[in-house]
Amino acid sequence: MTERLVLALPSKGRLMEETEKLFADAGLPVRRVGHARGYRGEIEGLPNVEVAFVSASEIAERIKSGKAHLGVTGEDLVAELVPAHRAAVTFLKALSFGHANVIVGIPAAWIDVVSMASLERAAVAFRRQHGRHMRVATKYGRLTRSYFADMGVSTYRIVPSLGATEGAPAMGTAELIVDITTTGKTLEANGLKVLETILKSEANLVASKAATWPPEVREAENILMKRLGIM
Amino acid sequence: MAQRIAEKLGRLDRQSATILNIFAGAGYEQVAPPIIQPASLFLDVVGEQLRNRTYVFNDPDGEELCLRPDLTVPTCRLHLERHGLKGDVSAKYCYSGPVFRYQPGGGDATHLREFRQEGLEAFSPLDRETTEVEVLTKTLEALKASGLKGSQLRVGDISIFLALLKAIDMPPRWRDRLRQSFWRPEAFRAELKRLTSMPKAALTGLPEDLIARLDPNDPKAAETEVASYLADKALEPIGERSIAEISDSLLTAAVDARTPALPASVADLIERYLAIAAPVRAATARLKDLAREKGLDIGTALDAFIRRNELLTAAGVDLGKAEFSAEFGRNFEYYSGFVFEVVVPSLGPKSPVAGGGRYDGLMKAVGAAGSIAAVGAAVYSDRLALAIEEASKGD
Repeated sequence: MTERLVLALPSKGRLMEETEKLFADAGLPVRRVGHARGYRGEIEGLPNVEVAFVSASEIAERIKSGKAHLGVTGEDLVAELVPAHRAAVTFLKALSFGHANVIVGIPAAWIDVVSMASLERAAVAFRRQHGRHMRVATKYGRLTRSYFADMGVSTYRIVPSLGATEGAPAMGTAELIVDITTTGKTLEANGLKVLETILKSEANLVASKAATWPPEVREAENILMKRLGIM
Repeated sequence: MAQRIAEKLGRLDRQSATILNIFAGAGYEQVAPPIIQPASLFLDVVGEQLRNRTYVFNDPDGEELCLRPDLTVPTCRLHLERHGLKGDVSAKYCYSGPVFRYQPGGGDATHLREFRQEGLEAFSPLDRETTEVEVLTKTLEALKASGLKGSQLRVGDISIFLALLKAIDMPPRWRDRLRQSFWRPEAFRAELKRLTSMPKAALTGLPEDLIARLDPNDPKAAETEVASYLADKALEPIGERSIAEISDSLLTAAVDARTPALPASVADLIERYLAIAAPVRAATARLKDLAREKGLDIGTALDAFIRRNELLTAAGVDLGKAEFSAEFGRNFEYYSGFVFEVVVPSLGPKSPVAGGGRYDGLMKAVGAAGSIAAVGAAVYSDRLALAIEEASKGD
């Protein structure tokens, strides 16, 4: 039996539109199979490619587990969801859309905090004053831990955030945040400013090292890559 | 296969009985702290980094729990539960049981995600060196009784570093900062560089016009000044961190900028100290030389180091092959003084078969009312069994 290449593409929003345009411009129109809102698709003229429409974070998960060979998703999600992602995933091409920065956001009134080193000093003083750690609201727990550790910041606690992270400091559920931002407007509206940028992220075409790559899948990959102008 | 696992478990059980027998014989009471522990306890001690190495999970009530990543913290907790948060009752405990640590890629023979430890902990305000020597000699005795030969002892002593820091003339807040970053070597180096070369840089990125108006001797007026600055710029303070805290932090920066930098010789001295790695006797001579050359008073810490070594020699520990390293202990924040580990050639320096030391601050981090003198050690049983097996192959 011939194995097909599984290509995981975003199922909604701007990321989906930009991705479909990218493939269409390369002469690879992606079509949904079955009913219009189906989760499977195919590419005209490439019977060995099976398309799965899933959420951007699910794409990162499938690349990690090897359920998908190739995928289009944000670098931020790959970095957050795949342990040791530089070794586990091949970044084939940055796609120049889906730009978003993962940033450390602090109250704009903290005019004394201007670097991660001064954040740690403020955190130590905060702990002494309030008898508890500063809280960082984020859905990027892994990125936060590794970046803060690299920068020598250790006096903090993560509060998992599922949405509207920028509002956490004003609501009093955290002192600072790690989140994505595109323009910084939402941050500003919530009384926050960017302290540091952890990652400048954009959509990437990525390949899984955990997936099995029999010759026919490799061949399908080669065809896709050529058409997309990557090799 | 099943028989081999049974044999291995049987061997570990026998080894465990041998070790516990030695600890119990020295007056250490055997305890069995719970395997499941509140995650917050370890988060307070280790910080968020805990999650990278520990099995943390939520139970159906939403409470955050973990599989214990060591037995020292659970033993501290047990002691406080028995004796109240003051905890100032002398006690000696020993234990045997599994601990759990995430290992990237599933781990290997010397880094298992579920492994056994036998250990001992002495909570005692009595003679410091005597307690340390007892914990170390009982550990070595346990290794020997299990059949280990040809091991090497490595020692360190964080209190010598703390004494050195105390002996160097500098503002107390700078000393605090260096001490706090000691366990994060890169942050420590950056802080040292900042203090020795560019205190003016303390102002980089800060509103200098505002800082120029702040009087360090009048914090109340400074707070008012900061409040009106924020109001002018329409910067609304949000959250619990108050304007007074922001103002204090700006004042510290202002004072730092006006304080003369530490002389480069201080950084040099600290670097030279941290570079000491030598056999114990040679290291002692170098420590003495360094103190004499710089006219530093680290006598008490050095005396304790020398006395401990004398006690160890008297107890029959061969220090001739033991190695001292000034950096040793920097990877584990809760150690506060003497540290040691036992390594064997077949497993290499990254897989010690036993290790321990003094951790006077840990009890407070776990919830005690104040610091409690504490020394402990653990034997990594699976590695010990492996090292003994490797050695018997060579016979």
